[in-house]
Amino acid sequence: MKKVLVASVLLASSVSVIAGDVPISGSVQTRCLITTDTNGVFGNPLPSKLSTASADGGVVPVVRYDVTLADAYIAKVTTPTAFSASPSLSDSVTWTGTTAVSKTSDAAMSGYEAAKVTYGSTTQFDLTKAGSTWFSSTATAVYGVNKSFPGGNYTAIVLAECIAK
Amino acid sequence: MTPTYPKFSESFMSGISVTTLNIFNKRKDVSYYEIGVFTKEWKPVAFVSQYKVIPMKYLDTLSFDLYVNNSSLHTVVYICSISKLGAGSTVASKICSRVK
Repeated sequence: MKKVLVASVLLASSVSVIAGDVPISGSVQTRCLITTDTNGVFGNPLPSKLSTASADGGVVPVVRYDVTLADAYIAKVTTPTAFSASPSLSDSVTWTGTTAVSKTSDAAMSGYEAAKVTYGSTTQFDLTKAGSTWFSSTATAVYGVNKSFPGGNYTAIVLAECIAK
Repeated sequence: MTPTYPKFSESFMSGISVTTLNIFNKRKDVSYYEIGVFTKEWKPVAFVSQYKVIPMKYLDTLSFDLYVNNSSLHTVVYICSISKLGAGSTVASKICSRVK
């Protein structure tokens, strides 16, 4: 009887030790991530023109969206309408820009491009599937009427938004 | 930023509601994020939080509480993290959770 009691106590204590050591862990998964895949660079094919198009000697900026929750987010990509840094300019700059899906992680996302909505300089995509999507934006700036851009460094910003529906 | 659909609850102060948000920096070229609270029409809503601009290293995560007055709580729709760009960055990002 004594042996049984000791064995029971040992068993109970070992169970409680094991229960006390069981870790509970968890992590919060981010549902929408935006990363810069490629920073854009302006080419200068004409004195009055700056363009990120590869045909104009530029580099097209590419933004990657990683979504882990399907049908919960809208992606909005806005091409620049002004320089964030530039030499002093005395004439107006005319901006044009386009955004397109350049790559997807899932073939089921192939409809994103056809379903996109464009207003002003913003292009909107409905992210109905979970996975990664790459968007590339072409931006072109034309200075005055055939006027040469003054020498210096020019920077413009693409705005990438991920808005919960 | 998570959760995608945050929910407010009564805080320890009467008349003030609170929600907890988590932010993760996946961008090497960004070290600061600004937090903003907006209405459906993207008008700013006053809020209180430990941070308005959060310094974050690459791959850092941070959890923080955000407080809103109950009188303006019904107007809150979007809570956003907006990247603050340094020299050399050409892509600004804005990720918004939605209060339903």
